[in-house]
Amino acid sequence: MEALLIYSAFNGLITGIFYALMALGLSLILGLNGVINFAHGTFMALGAYLAFTIEPYVGFWASLVCAPLLAVVLGLLVERWLIRPLYGRDPLFSLLLTFGLAMIMEDLIRTIWGSVGQPFALPAYLNTPLSGSLFFLTGYRLVVILITALITGGLFAALRYTRIGIRIRAGNADLETISAMGVNIYVLRAANFGIGIFLAGLAGILAAGQLGLSPSMGSSLIMPSFVAIIVGGVGSLMGSVLGGLIIGIASGLTAALYPVAQEVVIYAIMAVVLVIRPRGLLGQEGLLE
Amino acid sequence: MSAVLALEGLNTFYGKSHILHGVSLRVEEGELVALLGRNGAGKTTTLRSIMSLTPPRTGRVTLHGRDITRAPPYRIARAGVGYVPEGRRIFGHMSVHENLQVPPAVSGPWNIGAVYELFPRLHERRHSKGGRLSGGEQEMLAIARALLLNPKLLILDEPSQGLAPVIVQEVMRAIARMKREGLSVLLVEQNARLALQLADKAYVLSDGEVVHQGPAAVLRADTARMEALAGVSHLG
Ligand SMILES: Nc1ncnc2c1ncn2[C@@H]1O[C@H](COP(=O)(O)OP(=O)(O)O)[C@@H](O)[C@H]1O
Ligand SMILES: [Mg+2]
Repeated sequence: MEALLIYSAFNGLITGIFYALMALGLSLILGLNGVINFAHGTFMALGAYLAFTIEPYVGFWASLVCAPLLAVVLGLLVERWLIRPLYGRDPLFSLLLTFGLAMIMEDLIRTIWGSVGQPFALPAYLNTPLSGSLFFLTGYRLVVILITALITGGLFAALRYTRIGIRIRAGNADLETISAMGVNIYVLRAANFGIGIFLAGLAGILAAGQLGLSPSMGSSLIMPSFVAIIVGGVGSLMGSVLGGLIIGIASGLTAALYPVAQEVVIYAIMAVVLVIRPRGLLGQEGLLE
Repeated sequence: MSAVLALEGLNTFYGKSHILHGVSLRVEEGELVALLGRNGAGKTTTLRSIMSLTPPRTGRVTLHGRDITRAPPYRIARAGVGYVPEGRRIFGHMSVHENLQVPPAVSGPWNIGAVYELFPRLHERRHSKGGRLSGGEQEMLAIARALLLNPKLLILDEPSQGLAPVIVQEVMRAIARMKREGLSVLLVEQNARLALQLADKAYVLSDGEVVHQGPAAVLRADTARMEALAGVSHLG
């Protein structure tokens, strides 16, 4: 029983990592760009499929970097030509735009790569369990954890210590004032959108290695990612990560203890948080709190 | 000879409400110009029109003869306008030092070290969150932040607002020093007496129109007129 719980919690942690990466990008984009990016899930799927396509040529490790970057290129075009004209308008416009974009992109993925799910081939040495007693800990899962820790840590460090990071945080609080201080907010918002899309693409590849590829993989991960943001506290990046991990682990444990509630449990957690602490676990004024 | 800043016939709207009615104004090289007027006269809107935060619908804004009307605010800032907004607009959740890293580094005498020298208090409090500073410290931070752009023109929106008299004097001394160092200044104040102590020239706005302009000395001498125009209640 104990082993089963550890195993399930660990499964949940891995799923939670995917939620956390997604929620982190969504939060960044919501904060500075003021856009609820419903296409985030399809950018995730796109990252995964691009990796699937280029992996035979460049190998797994290079695809881990190149595929998200390719998704970022598309993301920057979308930001420049579709989203930018909507800045300053009612947020409903960009929400509807990204909602429509998500459907179009998902259909494009079906058209290009087919609607049937496919496995994502991992290097064999990553797929074997590291030890008999820790049978659920494969090299791949370790890689997922390490890369996520590295990327998240790097992102938080950049937000704290680099000028662009400081400007992103300042712009979250008061975009008008940073522009009056000489900051090119067009470039800053584009860069921020790009970072968000990179995280989505990365999440897509990491998730594909675990769950396989399917055109709808993004849409099934995006709702829990929104829940992660609300649980963690809208406006807090740390909160988004924490929220993602919490609901991932909770749903992993529920899968073992009471499988039918596996999906519902995250919404139950959200409801409880909203009642007890409406601003979320870490919701505060600053992006990093 | 082109003025540092010239506004010609600005008409600015918030949605359908017409706020500025043909405002014209000039700031010459090295001059400190006071822009006075009652609450709601349109002083902040004039500054927001200059910065293109609320771009004027018609009229022209030029900086050293160069048209900057409706340019993106960041371009106007980089072209040499240091803006100290009403209410200071400090990034309250970030430290003083982080606040000072928001503006791009522009080459010139002002850098982070130099503004710390100008305001040693900011250096002492560099690790404190902006939101924890006193009103006077926040004002200094807002001025320091604007100086980092090495502006040719400093525009300040009610720097004395909500500050204790001693602190007001300190802020005014800093502004006077900027002028001595060759900066041109456009100073918006409700506290006319205070602004007129420093100003070379004064404009008075009322309901979005310039109702008086002339040497500051004129209003300084004629307090009754100043009272009538700018509605200053706190004459000493
Ligand atoms: N965001 C806004 N929307 C609509 N009206 C505004 C806005 N800001 C200011 N106003 C109106 O514009 C007029 C001028 O305001 P403002 O420029 O702030 O005056 P001042 O700075 O001289 O006190 C006032 O009547 C005010 O009510
Ligand atoms: Mg005002």
